[in-house]
Amino acid sequence: MRAEPIQVRGRFLTAIAIRIEVDTPDASFFAALDEKIRSAANLMVGAPILLDFEKVPGFASRDHLGELVRAIRAKGLLLFGVQNATPEQQALAEEFGLIQVLVGRDTPVQQARAVSPRRSRLVAQPGNKVIHRHVRSGQLVVAERGDLTIIGSVASGAEVLASGNIHIYGTLRGRAMAGVEGDTNARIFCSKLEAELLAIAGLFKTSETIHPDLRRCNVQAFLEDETLHIERLV
Amino acid sequence: MTQLKDKAPLGKVIVITSGKGGVGKTTSAAAIAAALAKRDFKTVVIDFDVGLRNLDMIMGCERRVVFDFINVIQGEARLKQALIRDKRLDTLWILPTSQTRDKDALTKEGVEKVLNELKEQFDYIICDSPAGIERGAQLAMYFADEAVVVTNPEVSSVRDSDRVLGLLASKTKRAEDEGAEVKAQVLVTRLDQRRIDAGEMMTIDDVLEILAVPLLGVIPESTAVLRASNVGMPIVLDEPSAASRGYEAAVARLLGEEVDTQTERDKKPGFFSRLFGAPA
Repeated sequence: MRAEPIQVRGRFLTAIAIRIEVDTPDASFFAALDEKIRSAANLMVGAPILLDFEKVPGFASRDHLGELVRAIRAKGLLLFGVQNATPEQQALAEEFGLIQVLVGRDTPVQQARAVSPRRSRLVAQPGNKVIHRHVRSGQLVVAERGDLTIIGSVASGAEVLASGNIHIYGTLRGRAMAGVEGDTNARIFCSKLEAELLAIAGLFKTSETIHPDLRRCNVQAFLEDETLHIERLV
Repeated sequence: MTQLKDKAPLGKVIVITSGKGGVGKTTSAAAIAAALAKRDFKTVVIDFDVGLRNLDMIMGCERRVVFDFINVIQGEARLKQALIRDKRLDTLWILPTSQTRDKDALTKEGVEKVLNELKEQFDYIICDSPAGIERGAQLAMYFADEAVVVTNPEVSSVRDSDRVLGLLASKTKRAEDEGAEVKAQVLVTRLDQRRIDAGEMMTIDDVLEILAVPLLGVIPESTAVLRASNVGMPIVLDEPSAASRGYEAAVARLLGEEVDTQTERDKKPGFFSRLFGAPA
């Protein structure tokens, strides 16, 4: 089997859909697009991107689509397909090398067929988030659909939330809440614990109820018998 | 515009900010501006604390204020009319603020226009931020190229500084336009070694571990600071003291870093340079 030069594998990955809301894009549309891309650069750059025509069956100008495709690609986004396109829109999209992605009943809206799977991480855990900086006091970082990894410290007065696990490669001085959608299997890991609050699926401990022996230690927190446990990692 | 020097002015905007009040922002802004001017850089220090103007008193020119920053923003006076030249150093200028208006008188466009005009004439434009993180403080930092975050070695000051560092990374023109961070360095002021030894104050290492930015300098608690501000003298122009030497060293470091800021993006300081980069 190893000698085979090619293996065919099924792949699912998360793509980001840009849903168009107006039939004719004008200057304010492009300004709004720029703003969206800039504000969500972490999310959008490097991720496969779809155009969603659900709300605009009347969007059928070749020039407008061309302009839109150029604008999106000029920002370095990997636009590869369209969804909810009328046959006319499909034909136009093909001219720009965009494929029609069928959104099946069984497929979650945000999953699309892979054209060029970039990273297997996207496949395994949609919505994971990695933050390569310190989370400063007053800042809030949320991973709504997966794990949150912070390579840096979380300051006192900062909050980090995830529906999955939270990993902090630094000192946790603020608040960390894992399993915010109710996942009781979620865990929190941090290299140095000085947290104001730790919570998993709504059960929490504050700095006052965290055992002093655990402070400044490399720990994990998890739920067992409906109690939040904190344990030193060796 | 005629220049004292042949080369074009540097036009660098540095904000002196902290979050918390009473940590020594205005004293530091005056001292840093004066120390830069002493080194022959044409320097202006601007008071952004509209309604609570203090800088002119620290600089000893409160009786010479006729027009101010707000007048210029609102087109009631020209910049030239509002700038006050220091009597001790002819490279040092002050742009005072209004005592009677409030921070709503500051507009982003107005501030930008004044700063752009100053950049054509000055090497360094030092913005003395008001306390807090509201409009006045955000406008003071918005156009900055670099930031000096003034911190006292105690938890509430450090935490507020951390908050300000977060804003510097997101709510500035550099961050919004280029996705680049404003280079920020921490200046620890009012350091009292006896209180550190007694365990009542945080150590420099504690402060740097939390803030995780380079250390610009350390200013010891000193009666010389109070004496100098009472007589309207920037501390570095007064007789030598531990505090004035601290500011001179901080400014030397600020200029030393100058070379690095020429590159488009600063490299993060390494762990060791953070720890050992400056004497405590």
